[in-house]
Amino acid sequence: MKFPSLPSLSRIKFPFSLNVKSHARTLRLVVLLLLLGLSGYIFYLNITIREAFEGRRFALPARVYGRALEVYPGLKLTSVQLAGELRALGYHERPDPDEAATYKYTLNGLEFTTRNFVFGDGPQASQHLRVEFADGKVSLLQERGGTDVDLPISRLETPLIGGIYPGHNEDRELLKLSQVPKQLIDALVSIEDRKFYTHWGIDPRGIARALYKTVSGQRIEGGSTITQQLVKNFFLTSERTLTRKGTEVLMALLLEMHYGKDEILETYLNEVFLGQDGSRAIHGFGLASYFYFDRPLDRLELQEIATLVGMVKGPGLYDPRKNPELALKRRNVVLQEMVSLNVITQAQFVMARQKPLGVVLRPPTGTSPYPAFLQLVHRQLQSDYREEDLRSEGLRIFTTLDPRIQHEAETALSQRLAAVEKARRMAANTLEGAVVVSSTQQGEILALVGGREARYAGYNRAVDAQRPIGSLAKPIVYLTALEDPGRYTLITPLDDSPLVWRQPGTTDWKPQNYDHKFHDQVQLRTALAHSYNVAAARLGIDLGVERILGKLPLYGIERQPPPFASSLLGAFELSPIEVSQLYQTFADGGFRTPLRAIREIVTADGKPLQRFPLNVEPVAPPAPVYLLTAALQGVVREGTAQQLVNWLPAELNVAGKTGTTDDLRDSWFAGYTGDRVAVVWVGRDDNKPSGLTGASGAMTVWGEMMKNIQPEPLQPVMPEDIEMVNVDPVSGLRYNEDCKAGVLLPFIRGSEPTDISACVFASADTPKASDNPGANAAVKPGGKQAPEQKNWLQRIFN
Amino acid sequence: MINRFSPFFVYAWLLVLAGCASVPTQQTSVPEAVPQPGEAIVIEPAPNTVMSGNPAVVALLDRSRIDTAAGQREAAGASLERALRIEPRNAWLWNELAQLRLTQGQYMQAITLAQKSNSFAGRERRLQAMNWKVIGNARVAQGNSAGAEQAFKRAADLDQAAESESGHGIGLFQ
Repeated sequence: MKFPSLPSLSRIKFPFSLNVKSHARTLRLVVLLLLLGLSGYIFYLNITIREAFEGRRFALPARVYGRALEVYPGLKLTSVQLAGELRALGYHERPDPDEAATYKYTLNGLEFTTRNFVFGDGPQASQHLRVEFADGKVSLLQERGGTDVDLPISRLETPLIGGIYPGHNEDRELLKLSQVPKQLIDALVSIEDRKFYTHWGIDPRGIARALYKTVSGQRIEGGSTITQQLVKNFFLTSERTLTRKGTEVLMALLLEMHYGKDEILETYLNEVFLGQDGSRAIHGFGLASYFYFDRPLDRLELQEIATLVGMVKGPGLYDPRKNPELALKRRNVVLQEMVSLNVITQAQFVMARQKPLGVVLRPPTGTSPYPAFLQLVHRQLQSDYREEDLRSEGLRIFTTLDPRIQHEAETALSQRLAAVEKARRMAANTLEGAVVVSSTQQGEILALVGGREARYAGYNRAVDAQRPIGSLAKPIVYLTALEDPGRYTLITPLDDSPLVWRQPGTTDWKPQNYDHKFHDQVQLRTALAHSYNVAAARLGIDLGVERILGKLPLYGIERQPPPFASSLLGAFELSPIEVSQLYQTFADGGFRTPLRAIREIVTADGKPLQRFPLNVEPVAPPAPVYLLTAALQGVVREGTAQQLVNWLPAELNVAGKTGTTDDLRDSWFAGYTGDRVAVVWVGRDDNKPSGLTGASGAMTVWGEMMKNIQPEPLQPVMPEDIEMVNVDPVSGLRYNEDCKAGVLLPFIRGSEPTDISACVFASADTPKASDNPGANAAVKPGGKQAPEQKNWLQRIFN
Repeated sequence: MINRFSPFFVYAWLLVLAGCASVPTQQTSVPEAVPQPGEAIVIEPAPNTVMSGNPAVVALLDRSRIDTAAGQREAAGASLERALRIEPRNAWLWNELAQLRLTQGQYMQAITLAQKSNSFAGRERRLQAMNWKVIGNARVAQGNSAGAEQAFKRAADLDQAAESESGHGIGLFQ
């Protein structure tokens, strides 16, 4: 072969060696260089392909699980709820539920067999259980056997709620070659690569055909062996050029040099792309078997195997859910090839051909049905783990999510927002919202809803939406006051008269009340119950703006609001999850428990890696927190949240606070029961006014959700330095214990009113024992709390 | 101080557990385990049936104590947290978790969990005394002997109050 340009090249480079001998030498040199270059390239390809092969072969997503349902006698649970939990775990109803993950209904309950399962704290063997119910509770829990044994407790497997996937959200269920049915391999080889076991990575005739088509100007296609397809899968690209094809061929040859047929086939079976589930890519036959037929691969029938194998050619085109007719045709082509190669009999072929596709219909779940919660988990993990480890090491992550509570939270949010929009004639989907529910004493996040389309992995409002919190900030002011019992009790009169606040650097601030009135002297508990802005602002200014705002880090709020008096009324932004953290401390008697979404992490083979244990820290003395809770119960009983009674019975004694921001942009409700803390935000993404107050928006979501969660009533333990005293609700003077006109209010010992008032029923106009009000500095029954201040309606009812 | 304390306490804890599993009179074989003035004191555990009337919680407590005795403290903590999810306001469970944190050397958490237990303890003097003993032991380990003395004093007062309340010195667990 001639290299026409060579002499001139040589002439330039070596002008003093122009003879035949030097020509030959140069030629040799160039060939050598070319060979060297090619070797270098091959060497490079070799490293690349081996890395890809070794790396991908073991890339397993992190699996994220929700909480395990603990079943024990006395648990509030119905048979319908338990059956729902079992179905969500993939249990099937069977007449004889002896096999793992099967169940049946019995006369009074359910019988089922759990799977062997490795929890975060160790393995639990499969159990055949019988559960019976009475009065909405579990009445019997037995392990079935020769003789049935009563069990004190058992737990179901944790539900899989998502994964953190490698690459382009690739999910897979890793299989060993020995676990793959022979029929599947036969089918695959029949239709995709008949010479797989004899060729050395490429099919020369296929390559020749591809070359010919390229030269003749047609598309490059076909001729790919299983090995080549695997290479293509490693470097996902749709590029179809000759160099690409060349590289692919070289890599296929190299793969075959390094690895045996079985290794290549096993990797292929786990690697091949077989469909898309929302944002999640289905890779490998192991997962595809569950995704399309909800059964492990070794329990598929011939025609089902043929369907999956047929999809290799085009997972989108031959998707049995989207294009059942094409998928069926393709399946039958596969069966035809199998019978023509005698890997199945004619009888098998005829039988399989007659069967329907048999694909299970189920809504796609994407990478998780709970994207907002999963995102929170992922972010927490990212601070401790490398992203590539999360996506490839097969970690098992046990979280706090309670699917039942999550379901109630999602449903309440989407239904209430739709109802509010309809009632107020707003365009559909104007409103958005977020919900966070946690357990009071453990700080575990049980539910997290990032928007009304809870399945959609978009803007996570529960974590990322920063909104002014409005009156939700007031409890911080009141708690600070109540920590000084010498000056403040629940009945201390506060000043709700007009206020102008001047501070260098800001414009004058003139807080208004929501009803645009001033109420002169109001008791502290009343000012909080009705969320009077001016009284709260005056109180806060009196106590010291910086002193109050400086306490936020104690309650777990890292963000520092601007040091202005308006911050006391919540003119600073927090996310719903931060508000949850704040109210957690109030709900838990002054103990701060950092909110947690993860309980523990174990390795793929079950070794414990990390636990996130329960930590608590006392950050507020219990007695003032007890008073604050009593005042927040007043908000629900007789204040801005009294309409909550439309959803929840008064006996629950819920404590809560409404929050509304300027021009009705944000609608908040934060509250707690005996065992749950929950925060709801409702508003608009464009931050335009929603027209909703805390009570007309967020509170209705809260009520609807809690009604279905069935929380425990709130009965805070009374600290030893608290005393209940019967007082005149208006004057604040003490009544005798048996006086029916009084209200029973808690006081920190030593701060209770001492002056006794005569017990008279008509309370408002009662002449007060007014000659000596100064005995207790905290109680100044201001004479201006007079009936003439009340409107006509209130007067009628007095 | 800390070095001397930790193995001692672990040993004392195991001893106590051994006692719980009705292996009697182990104390005679370990005379060096008798607490010196100003050092950690042994906390006698309550029978788990006193701690809860719920068999599920009792079963989890059993499991937790078996794991603790086997040195599996992480697993023991997991079982206690399971029990607390069923009875989150059970002061005995919070005390048990405080004691576990103590054996794990997590003294700050031991103290705050004991405080939390006290916040749910109501008028259970014996339990309050146990919590103050946990706080005292944790302070010993932290090198705060004055604070420890105070805590032990409160524990002793509470024990005494419990005794006089119950009449003839019949303890809660007998």
